[in-house]
This record gives sequence, structure tokens and C-alpha cells, in this order.
Amino acid sequence: MADRVIVDKIIQALAEYLKRDAGTIKAAHHLRDDLGLDSMAVIELLYKIEETFDLQIPDQDLVGLATVGSVASYVEGRLSPAKPAAKKTPKPIATKSPAKRKAK
Amino acid sequence: MASRVVITGLGVVSPIGIGVSTFWKSAVAGQSGISTITSFDPFPMDGYRSKVAGQIRNFSPEQHIGSSLGDRVDRYAQFALAASREALSDSGMDIKKESPHRVGVIVGAGMGGMVMGEREITQLYLHQKPHRVHPNFIPVITLNSASGIVAMATGAKGPNLTISTACSSSAHALGQAWYCIRTGQADAVIVVGADASITPLVFAGFCSLRALSSKFNEQPERASRPFDRNRDGFVMGEGAGSLIVESLAHAKRRKARIYAELAGYAATSEAYHMVIPREDGEEVATTMKLALKAADVSPSEVDYINAHATSTNIGDAVEAKAIRALFKNRADRIAISATKSLVGHTLGAAGAIGAIATTLAIHTGQIHPTANYDDPDPDCRLSGISRDPQEKKIRAALLNAFGFGSNNAAVVLKRFRA
Repeated sequence: MADRVIVDKIIQALAEYLKRDAGTIKAAHHLRDDLGLDSMAVIELLYKIEETFDLQIPDQDLVGLATVGSVASYVEGRLSPAKPAAKKTPKPIATKSPAKRKAK
Repeated sequence: MASRVVITGLGVVSPIGIGVSTFWKSAVAGQSGISTITSFDPFPMDGYRSKVAGQIRNFSPEQHIGSSLGDRVDRYAQFALAASREALSDSGMDIKKESPHRVGVIVGAGMGGMVMGEREITQLYLHQKPHRVHPNFIPVITLNSASGIVAMATGAKGPNLTISTACSSSAHALGQAWYCIRTGQADAVIVVGADASITPLVFAGFCSLRALSSKFNEQPERASRPFDRNRDGFVMGEGAGSLIVESLAHAKRRKARIYAELAGYAATSEAYHMVIPREDGEEVATTMKLALKAADVSPSEVDYINAHATSTNIGDAVEAKAIRALFKNRADRIAISATKSLVGHTLGAAGAIGAIATTLAIHTGQIHPTANYDDPDPDCRLSGISRDPQEKKIRAALLNAFGFGSNNAAVVLKRFRA
């Protein structure tokens, strides 16, 4: 089971997105089948996760991210010192504006 | 009684050739126009998940447009100018000899003037100097700049319209030209599809949507692989296609060479999702069916489909499912090709470039290959898809184009019979 702090942050992001109580979202929940996210919503969620944890998720890693728990485990694995750090985004040219989550 | 509508001229600017002759030769040979993006100066490419696109490297406005007309317009409009110039010349129509208000221009464009557009937008945010915004910014990003400049270049004073429905834009431009002529608003229409938005922000946007192929960054020519089991997203392209479309009576009066008949068209919305098609393919099947009905063509007469087929996981499967559902046990006897396997997805230009490939298929009996169709996906399996060129006498053909915004178009072209 992934670190509770990581799981909670992911649940919080989902709760905000879905506009529902974080207490109703569990690690075992399937993003599509239980939480009703379509593929676009999953991409938006992962964009928010990338921002929250300052990492980049390559396209090929998307396949395994089906449940809340699997997302949390993935993030934990990427953040742990044993694994190489995520590729840094290049230094931005423009002043960074606060990233906005795309409204559905 | 509504006029019959025919296609009498073709022009193209594409990643596999500038000019119809080069384009078609490359297409029939199955040549890919996809290459590595060397740079998005000043942005380093390592910030992008996908690194390949169908870029046109040898387009010179001086050479391909000539006059300074192209100076004040963005790249997509320059492509539109060059393609429409070739199409007009190919048709033999001299607009000076026409009633100019009877010749229209209808352009399909998805993104428009993004080359200058992105630069000016980011400069403003970076430097916050509004008085340094270029005076040409508004004319350049106005989405009808291409239809405007084509009218200015040709003297065509008839209906001048720009249709923007993302990836189906120029299929709709062709369809609306069909309506325009059938209803007597014009004798001829210069139809153009154009887009040139392989630009830092737009490309990044498609990467963020996870819509682009990223598995074949080291082998660009293999990246666009519609209907193949290993497809992993579309490949951006740029370019323009132009078709001269006119009433049969008008074409006969000036003894024009007729490539094919533009027989029917359907425009629909799935009313479903901004970027995802309905998975059951019913809406796509309905659109094709409506187009055939408008053309008074039976599904049993369709010998070729120029598929939308962008090389996305969902999109290709949905289209294949729809083709099976509509054509039933004939589905495997229809030849199918995916032009995007060669030129990538040219967005607003896709419909027009696909229409050119369809017109030439009808005219020559040759169907271009679908590149990289190495390992057919069982979910998309249709016997008519081939990675080799095919020869077939085509009675009627369908051109499919589906756009973001839940937007579908299907156009029917037929062999012309007097």
C-alpha cells in the first residue's frame, strides 16, 4: 500500500475534480468503472498529479494507472530515492503563471 | 432541379510533395512524409513527449506564391494560396472570363494563423508591452485570412466562407461548396483546406492531450500507423489541399476536364464528447449513411473509402466498427486507405487532402497504400486495408472526416458519367 500522504493527495485531487466528499473515494476505486472518469478526465487528473508531485508521466506509463491505489503506488515509486528522478521540465522562458486545472 | 457538381482542378502542398504530381507519385509509392522535429527554436525538444511530425521543409513563399501577397499572412494561408493557385491552373478556369460574383471561395481551417499568433501572444505576456504587438497580428490570426487572401489573389468575388470544425473542416468546406453550387449561389467554388500549426504551443497542447504518438520518436516514418496493432496516437502534419468544384453545366460550357463528381455530403454532430468518439461507432455509421443517401448512392456501389483513420487507438477502431456495421458483408470488399499514414494529420487540411487522394483514386484507378500496416489490429480488421497500392475501378467513394467538438462529416465522390 502506498504512503498514506500520497494516497490522500490523490484522493483530494479527485474529490475536487468530481466535486464530491473525499471520504467517499477509496484507494481500491477504479478510476473509470467506479469513479466514472472518461479517458479525457483521467488525463486531466494525471496532469494535476504531475503538477502536485513535480514529475512527468511518460505516455507509456499511463496504461497501468487504472485505480486510485495504482496511481499512488506509481507516484511513490517515482518519488523514492531508489528510482531515478523524473525528467525535469526545461527552464520556462516566460514567467510561470499559476497552472489552471481545465474545467470540464 | 439541383445542379450536378463536378471536380475540375486539384492543388496540394503536403509533407510528401508540393504539387499534385509529386504528391500522388509519393502517395502511390507509400512514401512517408513524417520526420523528426529538429527544433522548436527556442524551445528544446526534450520537453516534448512526441518528437515527430509531417513538416513541409521546402516551401518557399517567394517560389510557390510569387507575389508579396503572402507577406502579410501566416503559413497556413500561404499554403492555401499555393494550393489554390495550382488547382485553378489545373482546372484551366480563368476567373477574368467569369462573372466574378459567381465564383466563391470556401476554406476549411482548424487552427489558423498560429505561427505568428503564438509568438505575439507569448511576447505580450513575457514583456507586457501592448504597443509592441505587431500591427499584422489581428489580420494574421483572423481565421478567414486564408479565404480572404485567396479571393484577393484570384478575383473570386462570390461567397467567401471559412469553416472551422477542427479535423473535419475541409470536408465540410467541400460539402458546403456542393450545397452552394446545387442551390445556385455560385457556378464554381475554390475549396481549400489548410493548416500549419506545428508550433511550440499547439504541439505541446496535443502532447498534453496524450493524443500524439510517442513510441516511434526514433523511427519517425513508422509513427503514423492507422489500423495497426501498435499504433499509439496521431502524428501532426501541415499542408493544404485545394479542389475546384463547379456545376456540371459550367464545366461543360468551358469544356473542362472532369476528374470526378461530387455527389453527396452529410454533416452531423455526435453530441457526445469534445475529443472522444462514441465507442459503438453508430454515429459514424449514421453520418456515412446520410451522405450516401444525399448522393443517391447505395452502399453496394461504394468501392473505396478514404478513411479518417488518424492512428489513434479509439478512433481507428470506431471507424472500422462503423464501416462493418454499415456495409455488412460487403465491408471486406471495399478498398480502404488512410492518407494520414503518409502525411500525418493535417487538421483543417485533412479533408481536402483526403478528397484529392479520393479524386485521383477514382480518376486513375490507383489506391495509395496505408503505410505501416504491418500488424493488423483485430479490432480494426478490414480486408480492404493494405500496405501495398491497389488497383480498382471505383464507382463511388466515401471520404470520412471526424473532428474534435463531436463533429462528423462524410463526402461522396463518384466516377463521372455524362
